[in-house]
Amino acid sequence: MNQNKKIPVILDGDPGHDDAIAWVLASTIPDFDIKAITTVAGNQTLEKVTYNARRIVSLLHLDIEVAKGRNRPLVSDLIIAPNFHGETGLDGPRLPEPDHELSKLSAIEMMEKVLRESEEKVTIISTGAQTNVAALLLAHPELKEKIGRISTMGGGLRNGNWTAGAEFNILVDPEAAYTIAHSGLPLQMCGLDVTEQAIVYPEDWERIRALNNPVAKVVAEWFDFFFIHMKSLGWKGCCTHDPCAVMSLVWPEIFDIRDYYVDIELSGRYCRGATVADYNGSSGNKPNFRCVVGLDRQKFVDKLVEACASFEGWEF
Amino acid sequence: MKKIPVWIDTDTGVDDAVALLVASKLEEIELIGVSAVAGNTSQENAFRNARDVLALAGKKEVKVYPGAKKPLVIDLHTAEYVHGSNGLGGAQIPLSDAPVQEKKAWDALYEAAKEYEGQLVVCPVGPLTNIAIAIAKHPDIVHMIKELNVMGGAIIGGNVTPCAEFNIYSDPHAAENVMKSGIRVNLFGLDVTHKAYLDDDDIDAIASFDNPASKLFIDSNHLLYESRAKLHWKGVCEHDSCPVIYTAHPDWFKGHKCGIYVETQGKITFGKTVSDLYTDFKFEDRHCMAFMDVDRELFSQKIIDTYRQF
Repeated sequence: MNQNKKIPVILDGDPGHDDAIAWVLASTIPDFDIKAITTVAGNQTLEKVTYNARRIVSLLHLDIEVAKGRNRPLVSDLIIAPNFHGETGLDGPRLPEPDHELSKLSAIEMMEKVLRESEEKVTIISTGAQTNVAALLLAHPELKEKIGRISTMGGGLRNGNWTAGAEFNILVDPEAAYTIAHSGLPLQMCGLDVTEQAIVYPEDWERIRALNNPVAKVVAEWFDFFFIHMKSLGWKGCCTHDPCAVMSLVWPEIFDIRDYYVDIELSGRYCRGATVADYNGSSGNKPNFRCVVGLDRQKFVDKLVEACASFEGWEF
Repeated sequence: MKKIPVWIDTDTGVDDAVALLVASKLEEIELIGVSAVAGNTSQENAFRNARDVLALAGKKEVKVYPGAKKPLVIDLHTAEYVHGSNGLGGAQIPLSDAPVQEKKAWDALYEAAKEYEGQLVVCPVGPLTNIAIAIAKHPDIVHMIKELNVMGGAIIGGNVTPCAEFNIYSDPHAAENVMKSGIRVNLFGLDVTHKAYLDDDDIDAIASFDNPASKLFIDSNHLLYESRAKLHWKGVCEHDSCPVIYTAHPDWFKGHKCGIYVETQGKITFGKTVSDLYTDFKFEDRHCMAFMDVDRELFSQKIIDTYRQF
């Protein structure tokens, strides 16, 4: 990565415990210049995830505007995931109250502004339903050339989770995912293929808790809460989905990344929202996604611990 | 030892022919009936080929019944590019002189299921059209069949589309009907059948026997050899022999309990076998086994042994 020029980044998500951890990680990356944080309905309602985003900004002492995005998917009715994330969408530890005003711009207006003003190509990291990003592409195709890459957490080439065919983020807004898949932009996808291997075990987040700084303690408590539901599903740790979308951009060498043509099923009795990869080239289409399908789990955990350690000496 | 009564429903087919020959020589099973269905080739070809292959195997007494000439809802699309215009890759074998059966596949299967009082194992190795029609006409058949050992589908991937396999894609509505019927289904999809191949040494061994069965094998597989060279396959997959050999040797295969249904409404996932094997989401009804692995050495040796015996 270029040492001098930082990469302008927009974080778009629906925090959500794993979005929150992804944003903690993103805030520690020296090469990132986070231009905006935008929210979208998904893990919880838009009001709740936006409040959570503003509290995360306070926790991390960030001077970054939060802009509120779409309150519902392009076509589908909203589904939310309170079983994973609780009633607030970010249940668990107490967080500082928001210390910045919410932006007067909508998420899509904010993205438009960041893209227009940026000299460098902007990376968008989308860790929720892809509604805002799709709306941006539909409304401002002329700004596509300002987007360097879209890194998403969503889908699964092998399997779904919310349904047998589909993963939650894609299922929430399949038409948005379709819009992005067919945008022609450089796309990177962290689906369940990698994120269900990105398991953080209780002993791993005890390492984070033991760092004993305020951010690390909050992160450990997010894991504590997130694990309640994961454990009930039979998992031995937390599938730490969203941080993959950040980490695979920064340290691709610890991930297994393959190029595939991936299409999004919009119809289907069981498969609406399925991300279908053309493994054998039978579709005749060129790859449109860099698909992250595996990782070195221990290095992934170590990077998370290091990120949390960088808050040494902080206070709420 | 009491033999397991087995029925094979087939769109005979190059690899179907192998499965029929294997079934005729497995000591653990007794092939009690065969039905033909359109799929790899027309129903008429499948019917003739099944009869002729059984005659070649010295099993003229096994009756072959005619079945569906097209899928339940969609049009028929055969696979000449693999199975040639006659279904056996152009290979010619003597016509069977066994009496021609007029009874429909679904009626004959129903009668057999009743006769064997819950012990009948059915191996459908083509589209599931005949089985779906049997269930539609004789709903109580679902309680009479011990298990359906199906060649079809894929938990991951596909062959005719990125996510659908030929047999299921050929009649997804029939397959969904069968999956919803409650019959116990053991699914041998591409996940396992791609591991159930004969390599060059195996094929050389079969060729060296130089008997009518091995001649049929070599003559019928030429389109597959050509695809094989082009697509860099490790060998020739014997898809349809998987459920048949499993019936005699279940411990050679590894499967997992799951729910499996078939997408009939998807635009790009049409014909996909949808399982909850790897998903947090679980279907309420999980009466299937998805087979994912096979001991290839034992499997291929069994097929070679079959050909040695002719």
